[in-house]
Amino acid sequence: MPTKVEMLKLAETPPRTIGRSLLLTLPIALWSLLMFANPQRHPNRSMQIAGMITAVFMIALFFMMMRTRSTYRWRRWFFVALGILFPVGFIHTVIAMRGTMGLPIEEMIAGRTPFCYMPIPLLILPAAFTKSLVFPGSISGMAGMAGLWLAVTLVVGKGWCSYACFFGGIEEGMASVSPRAKVRKIDPRWRYGPWAVLLAMVLLSLALFEPAYCMWLCPFKAVSEYVAARNTVGMVQNGIFIVLFAGLVIALPLLTKKRTQCAFFCPFGAFQSIFNKTSVFDVKIDRARCSPCVLCKTACPTMSLTDESIAKGETLMSCMKCGACVDACPKNAVVWHIKGTEIANKPERARLMFLYAAWAMAVMFGGSIITEGLGTILHVFV
Amino acid sequence: MKLRAKLGYFAAGITVLVAMLVPFLLMGQFAKGFASLGLHVDEMYSGGPKVRSIQTGAYFIDIHRPVFPHMLQTEKPFVQLDWKPVSALPAHVSDAVDVDGDGQPDLRVSFDVPKDAKAPLRVNVEALNPHYQSMQNVGKEKYSRLIVRVDDAIVVRVPLTHP
Repeated sequence: MPTKVEMLKLAETPPRTIGRSLLLTLPIALWSLLMFANPQRHPNRSMQIAGMITAVFMIALFFMMMRTRSTYRWRRWFFVALGILFPVGFIHTVIAMRGTMGLPIEEMIAGRTPFCYMPIPLLILPAAFTKSLVFPGSISGMAGMAGLWLAVTLVVGKGWCSYACFFGGIEEGMASVSPRAKVRKIDPRWRYGPWAVLLAMVLLSLALFEPAYCMWLCPFKAVSEYVAARNTVGMVQNGIFIVLFAGLVIALPLLTKKRTQCAFFCPFGAFQSIFNKTSVFDVKIDRARCSPCVLCKTACPTMSLTDESIAKGETLMSCMKCGACVDACPKNAVVWHIKGTEIANKPERARLMFLYAAWAMAVMFGGSIITEGLGTILHVFV
Repeated sequence: MKLRAKLGYFAAGITVLVAMLVPFLLMGQFAKGFASLGLHVDEMYSGGPKVRSIQTGAYFIDIHRPVFPHMLQTEKPFVQLDWKPVSALPAHVSDAVDVDGDGQPDLRVSFDVPKDAKAPLRVNVEALNPHYQSMQNVGKEKYSRLIVRVDDAIVVRVPLTHP
């Protein structure tokens, strides 16, 4: 059932024809089949089936984006699936390898700690001063993830947080559960939270020569792996992970309908905001069409729109290009934009170019994680 | 169309092209670039480079370069010794080890080698040189003070008394 805003938008921009939508989906369909349809890529039958399901899923979502001209609600299906299926695949892998989600000191000494992108900003200063990477992983593992992160970041900037991050989907799912926010007034100063956490963690990581965020504050340790508690300090660390996960990823998104961990806490998100300046794609507000009703501001899951930024016709640098504000605007005043071009000039062209780039990354990276998680579940039955 | 707009569309086109190249070319190239920076895993985790190996019967003791903490790192300086291969070790190991290579033993290290690879290990270290700290019945307390099995080696880390 379309909402009131969707009805207004439909009146202004009717859906594309099925034929034209299929034509626009064709490049992504070929890309998805290239990524997932090769049976030699997958070690067993359940993974092959999971790969095919993922390909169909990603193609279907892109088709709906083309047909309905809306982005956020279809992207959200992908993102929530990614957030739910990442822990399934990851936890299964670590338990199969070592029998526990706890990371024993032997694995750290052996350099077998899986490296995620979260500590990247924390490693820069210690590496610059001593050429040491303060993470107990392997150089090849870290190089692989760093290479992937840099490549995806070049393409989508902070769009990483909406099309590649395998943690944000859980809170996005939680934020979607309730039809209305129970807590509506949020002090806008909380927006500086990620920058404060980033600064503190970068300095602490340099001072203590350890990935301080991973050791003390990462809420997603609760659904990935944690430091095996050898003493009281370890118990405290694990307690913090669980409390932060329950608060920032489960409870607050339910109450506020915001991605609270991303908006108010995540240091990697703050770091990634810098790359919005280098990305060619952004979201702008066409002042000539804007009422302003501030529906975009309400819809933004990271509070990246303020009255001042709307008046200026732009989002804050924390915008992660999820498309919620674009979809929420009944006047089509919030638009996808290519830097250097006129705001009102062919916004759908800008949206298409961004989506081809972002969805290609989503299929390649997120899609492979979805396949892994889905394959793990299917392995029980197939 | 203005030049700025043309450049914008050109950059957007290049970005889409880059996206297509990521899995086939760019990701690997960036990873190689990262690997070629000459970075290494912090020695508090890796134990530092091996400097010497002593053969004791059927097994070897690898001696690593002492590791010193950076900045406010909470660990003590330590030296790492690896006994390997585990399959060649007797049920009880008690070795006098010349760590600094001066011909005099610096430590006497004793531990049991359980057949079960997952069984916890405990080590006793008697310091014969005041440069090293003795340890009694130590398991895996800290990075600088532990005994663990890592693949085919038993790793012992002994804290130093003076940096």
